[in-house]
Order: sequence, then structure tokens, then C-alpha cells
Amino acid sequence: MLAAEVGGQRRFDVEADTVGSALRSLPVANLVFDERGQLRQLVNVYVDGTDVREHEGMDTRLSGSEEIRLVAAIAGGYST
Amino acid sequence: MPALLVGTRKGLFVLSSDEDRRDWEVSDPLLTGWEVFHAVPDPRDGSVYAATNSFVYGATVHRSEDRGETWTRAEELGLPEETGLTLEKTWHVRPGREGEDGRLWLGGAPGVLFRSDDSGRTWKTVQSLVGHESREKWNPGAGGMCCHSIQLDPDDPNRMYVAISAAGTFRTEDGGESWEPANSGVAADFFPDNPFPEVGQCVHKLLVHPSRPERLWQQNHCGVYRSDDQGRNWERLEGNGLPSGFGFPIMLDPSDPETAFVIPEEGAENRVTPDGRLGVYRTQDGGQSWELLEGGLPEPAWVAVLRESSSFDDGGVYFGTQSGSVFASADGGDSWVEAATHLPPILSVEAADWR
Repeated sequence: MLAAEVGGQRRFDVEADTVGSALRSLPVANLVFDERGQLRQLVNVYVDGTDVREHEGMDTRLSGSEEIRLVAAIAGGYST
Repeated sequence: MPALLVGTRKGLFVLSSDEDRRDWEVSDPLLTGWEVFHAVPDPRDGSVYAATNSFVYGATVHRSEDRGETWTRAEELGLPEETGLTLEKTWHVRPGREGEDGRLWLGGAPGVLFRSDDSGRTWKTVQSLVGHESREKWNPGAGGMCCHSIQLDPDDPNRMYVAISAAGTFRTEDGGESWEPANSGVAADFFPDNPFPEVGQCVHKLLVHPSRPERLWQQNHCGVYRSDDQGRNWERLEGNGLPSGFGFPIMLDPSDPETAFVIPEEGAENRVTPDGRLGVYRTQDGGQSWELLEGGLPEPAWVAVLRESSSFDDGGVYFGTQSGSVFASADGGDSWVEAATHLPPILSVEAADWR
């Protein structure tokens, strides 16, 4: 769904100091974050394969060559 | 060319037909992945707006200038922090009047209204309603506290109406600067100690008659009502042919203010067609009596029709079911064709003139 919002583009190269600032620079930032700037509950963020919750969340520092992946959470039981 | 914008739990479908409205072509899904609570054409410029929601990515509004081929999304939409509220769902988009370029209204949950003056790119909270003095007496219905009906008076650019479940109907006569409750005579039977409060009514759908705009109709949790004085007083219309006062959709005949259509459900605790009879009930005398229309409708059919899932235009009346069928009538409801079937659960139906 995110890719469809930006004409099918699935990969962006961005320069940022933290995971949060990297994600906020994306054209889909207002889907990834809510109106209070909080990461939406069912969006999972991985840095080089590790869930950012195991690091510092949106404050996780970036050194320059990491790959960040956005993945919709497993949401069994939701009425979809 | 008649068309229907059919919002579903899993995307938007466009149904198109000719003037006979008997044979319908169904598009592939648009806005895939999004729950389309409402989609509406803007007759001013031919664009389409959709109130879209995702259980992952939240609530937003999409706009297409090429009939759904490509979409843009609202850039700024949300509730100010000082309201203490956050946007839960977008429910209903209403384009402004001819001459109000770029203006749109958007209803959402929890009981909120937004206005855009740039064709849906940015949305400003209508603070006079979000901060309404009666707000503490509002309560959410089963679908959340949704602002689901936005009706503009075609004759007076400053008069409009909104309906919120369960807060009731509100009227503004100053373009949205202030809002007055318009619920006199409308029952709230779920408050047995005060069944006629000033606010708190569970209106399910509100319509202004396009050619007699002082006449309003509403399908409510507690009955069907008509007002002939801009919502100042309401008359309850059930018990004269309707099997139940409970239901969600209501449809009108733009050429005849005496005609309306409803699709009753058994009741609040069992929201399905009474006795498995999918029936459209029509009045042609302002709601004094109702007749069952069933030509072409399946039986038995244990189905339900949601509040946004009906529409009408100059040549037809239409509704869609939670079980994914769309029905259309081109003869005032006397006979129906199944225009589409096996769609995802239908959330909304809106007629469009696809010229």
C-alpha cells in the first residue's frame, strides 16, 4: 500500500541521523506516523534486520549505510 | 452516463451503465487495501474524493483527477493537540457549492468536521463543532462517534447540517461559525429517563431534499423522521407500513419531495433484514404510509445495508449490501436489478454522472 501511494516506488535513498528523521523525510510519512508524530501501532521498523524496538526506537542512530524496512505488522483478529 | 462509486472494505469499485440502468459494468478495484468509507464525485471539476481508512496506516482522504487512475492523498489532516482528540476514521466527504472553488467538508470520528479550501490537500478542524458546548453529552455508536452526514442548503450559502451518531443533528446558519442542535421531536429511547434530550440522538443518516431544502429526512436508531422547517421540529413516521423503525440508509426522489425510501432492519440488537425479507419501503405521501417494494430483490436474504450504502440521482435509486451486492432501480423502486455481486463488504454507494 505504501508503494502505491508513491507511484510504485519501493526504495528511497535518504540521508538522516536517526531512524525517525529518515522516516519523516519520506513522502508517506503521514501514513507511517499519526497526527501526534507517533509511529503507528501496526507499523514495524527494522534496521538491517533488527526491530528498532530492540534499539532506541525512532531515536536509533544511523551511521550511514543501513537499510531500513517498513513492514505492516501481523494483525490477526483485526476485522479486515 | 450513470455510474456508481461503490466503496468497500477492500477498495473502490466503479459501476457504469447506460440510461436504462439495467446492465452494469464493474471496474477492477481502485485504492486497493483501503477501506473506502465514502467516495464522491465533485461536479465542479470532475474529480473524485474518497474517505479512506486503513487498520495499519490510519485515516485519510484521497483525490483523483483522472477517474481513479491515479490518486493523491491529503497532506495535512488531523486534530490539534489541544482538542485532546485524535482522528479515528474519515467518514464522509461533501464538495462545496458551485463557485466555492476548492472547498470541501469532511466528517469523521470522533464526531469531528474538517474544511478544506485547497481541493483536499490540507484540512482545517471546524473548531466550533469539535469544541461544541454539548460535546460531553455525545456518545459513540457501534461504528464510533462518526460525523457521517453533511448536507448543504442549496439556496442559502451559510446554512448547512451535520449529523453525528450519537450526538444528533446540528444546523449552522453562519457558514459553520456556530452550530445549533436540531433534534426537537427526535427520540432517544435508549435514555429512558429523558427520551427527548436536546442532543445525544442516534441519527443514522440525514438528507436535505434537493428541490425543497427546508424539508429534511432522517433514518434514526429510533425511527424515521421528516422535518419541514429546517430541522427545528421533527415528525416520527413509522408504524404505518414499516416493519421496523430501525435502519440505516434513506434515499429520496429529487423530483418529488413526498417520496422517500428506507430499508428497515429488525432492530438494534439484530441488525438484519426482518424475516429475511430484503425490502425497500417507499412513501409517496411524505411518510404517512409506506409500501414494500420487492420486485427483483432476492428472498430469503439475511443482509444489512450500511448508512452510506445508498444513493439516488435523477433516474435511479441504488443500494449496496454488506454481503457485496449492489441493486439498482430505474423505475422509482418498483423493480430492481442486481448490478454487481460478490464484491467485498459494501461501505458506501454514491451516484455519479460519468460524462
